[in-house]
Amino acid sequence: MYQYQEFDQRFIDERVEQYREQTERYLNGELTDDQFLQLRLRNGLYIQRLAPMLRVAIPYGTLSSRQLRALAEISRHYDKGYGHLSTRQNIQFNWPELPVVPDILADLAKVQMHAIQTSGSCIRNVTTDQFAGVAEDESVDARPYCEIIRQWSTQHPEFDWLPRKFKIALTGAESDRAAIHVHDIGIRVGRDASGAVAFDFLVGGGLGRTPAIGSVIRRALPERHLLTYLEAILRVYNRHGRRDNKYKARIKILVRAMTPKVFAERVDEEWAYLKDAPSTLTTAELDRIKACFAPPEYPDRDDQSALLAEQRLRSPAFNHWVGNNVASHKVPGYAIVTLSTKHTGVPPGDVTDAQMDTVADWADEYGFGEIRIGHEQNFVLPDVAQEKLYELWQRAERMALATANIGLLTDIVCCPGGDYCSLANAKSIPIAEAIQRRYDDYDYLHDLGPIDLNISGCMNACGHHHVGHIGILGVDKKGAEFYQVSLGGHAGNDASLGKIIGPSFARDDVPDVVEQILDVYVNQRIEEEPFLDCFRRIGMQPFKERVYASAR
Amino acid sequence: MPVLVKNLEVVHDSWTLIDSSDDCDSASGGDECIVPFDYWASQTSPPSSSKAGFWVDGEADVEQVRDHLEGASLIAVKFPAFADGRGLSLGALLRSRHGFRGELRAFGDILPDLAQYLHRSGFDAFVVESRRAAEVAIASISSISDHYQASVLQPQPAFRRICAAS
Repeated sequence: MYQYQEFDQRFIDERVEQYREQTERYLNGELTDDQFLQLRLRNGLYIQRLAPMLRVAIPYGTLSSRQLRALAEISRHYDKGYGHLSTRQNIQFNWPELPVVPDILADLAKVQMHAIQTSGSCIRNVTTDQFAGVAEDESVDARPYCEIIRQWSTQHPEFDWLPRKFKIALTGAESDRAAIHVHDIGIRVGRDASGAVAFDFLVGGGLGRTPAIGSVIRRALPERHLLTYLEAILRVYNRHGRRDNKYKARIKILVRAMTPKVFAERVDEEWAYLKDAPSTLTTAELDRIKACFAPPEYPDRDDQSALLAEQRLRSPAFNHWVGNNVASHKVPGYAIVTLSTKHTGVPPGDVTDAQMDTVADWADEYGFGEIRIGHEQNFVLPDVAQEKLYELWQRAERMALATANIGLLTDIVCCPGGDYCSLANAKSIPIAEAIQRRYDDYDYLHDLGPIDLNISGCMNACGHHHVGHIGILGVDKKGAEFYQVSLGGHAGNDASLGKIIGPSFARDDVPDVVEQILDVYVNQRIEEEPFLDCFRRIGMQPFKERVYASAR
Repeated sequence: MPVLVKNLEVVHDSWTLIDSSDDCDSASGGDECIVPFDYWASQTSPPSSSKAGFWVDGEADVEQVRDHLEGASLIAVKFPAFADGRGLSLGALLRSRHGFRGELRAFGDILPDLAQYLHRSGFDAFVVESRRAAEVAIASISSISDHYQASVLQPQPAFRRICAAS
């Protein structure tokens, strides 16, 4: 992990005091609500339906056990004993008091954490693959570049007051687990023909009101140019992005208006000035950052496939769990474990202080003290010895963290929705719970195979409904909560946006609608064909006919 | 009462800002007038005064402005809202790319908390709404002692100055 040097620590400490002073001026009446709004948003503080909400960055999803314990302590001391893992590698606290937020930030700074730029019209927390550094299908670990971007984007002199929020995601793996196609900038980290690290840049992807898939504007950019090229993109956006209409202010609108080709030309014109400027990365700096992410010294272990096979045969429940929640590790004898927060009856992504403390302990006991958070709102233990999986599974069962549903229907991505969020049109958590209750049979879930079901409580799409194989969006219909259903979205390599099936549904009908959709799939699929492939083959019509049959 | 801060100090503002081109002909011959950019750009001969300047909206294209820097000893950039960062890019480009060396002043909706960004983007002057705001703004500039990125103020990023050296 990246370790703060004196420079980083001083910056973060000073930033806390800067925010403390801003809070004091607000409480003194020197700042209006609107003025303070902009300042608090740049430190992750929203005013929500019931209370303020503080969004803390978990940069590129990496946490140490010490940091996770500090988050548990914050949830106990300042909140109601739980936190919410967001869909962008952040953790949210729903009940902090506004005047004590500077104290929370000071506590975070002690463990090298912050809430800087987790909201507001600025460059947000940079995200990546939660399996970075350990995934079997990875060619380059993207985390060093994430950290370089984190530093570069922190209180940038020019780019902290953008037309709208700005999200950057990177992946260095074959399978895109970071949803780079639906970010303002998506960066694919790979290698050029000579084996040197190089970046492909996508711009103009995004969800929200006008969902869009990003367009490639540059291929194989050498690694030293990362920051100057980003600067060129941000400068074009900062100067030319629309500011007259909040709903047309994202970079995707600018890219579409200009066309990706012309946008790329504008970026190149700007980059011609910036290329080789002092922001060009030096070998010393690249080496310094990469060294922080060097793999740990893995004790040699034999591959334990035979043992695992035997354990799986003995316990069907363990078998399900390994099949869904355990991924291949690049080092033999090790495995990547995803601890699901999607336990029926618990809002997706919500974790208690006890769970946080326990997961921190497991990270120390079964790994190298590291935990990851993915955009699917689950915990990941990246380095578990295969021979310890059974023991860990038993313990996770007791902590309600072993639901064997990763990648399945009930691993629902879900925003806090109308229960908490002041932007929401409708509740999302009760929908998730109703679906989880209906589909609590492992065998059937497993038979359905990989299905991403994503729920957002409003157009802002924090629940990423556009890229759910099944997407559910809360809408307001004359004051009543209704839900629009879309099919065929996908966030991976062959990303696609879901298409709306038709008129929206009342809340109580949503589980039935999902069931009818799944019935169509089960009847129409060919052999092992996954839901998404089946939808792409047969199209919307059969689903539409079934779902609206009774209405006619 | 607006207060001018220049080089981190509250100073008397001897310049007069002229809002509209219509009001220019009578006053603009004098020293220390800040005329609208459109008026400035429409003049065929260089200004008679050695203390002449213009103001421009933060949203203006630097490509339009850059050809009219000759004879200007002051450029004022108007921020329509403090959360509108276009003026920061405009200022940074005028300073670093187009070599403007005169006074670069920000005015409009300038929240004291914007001062550190202005300062780092090459503005040496800004107008805030009160003396208290000026004090807060000046203090805010030194509240963070160093930043990660290169800027107009500090062309070398921290990694070239500190991190890699330690």
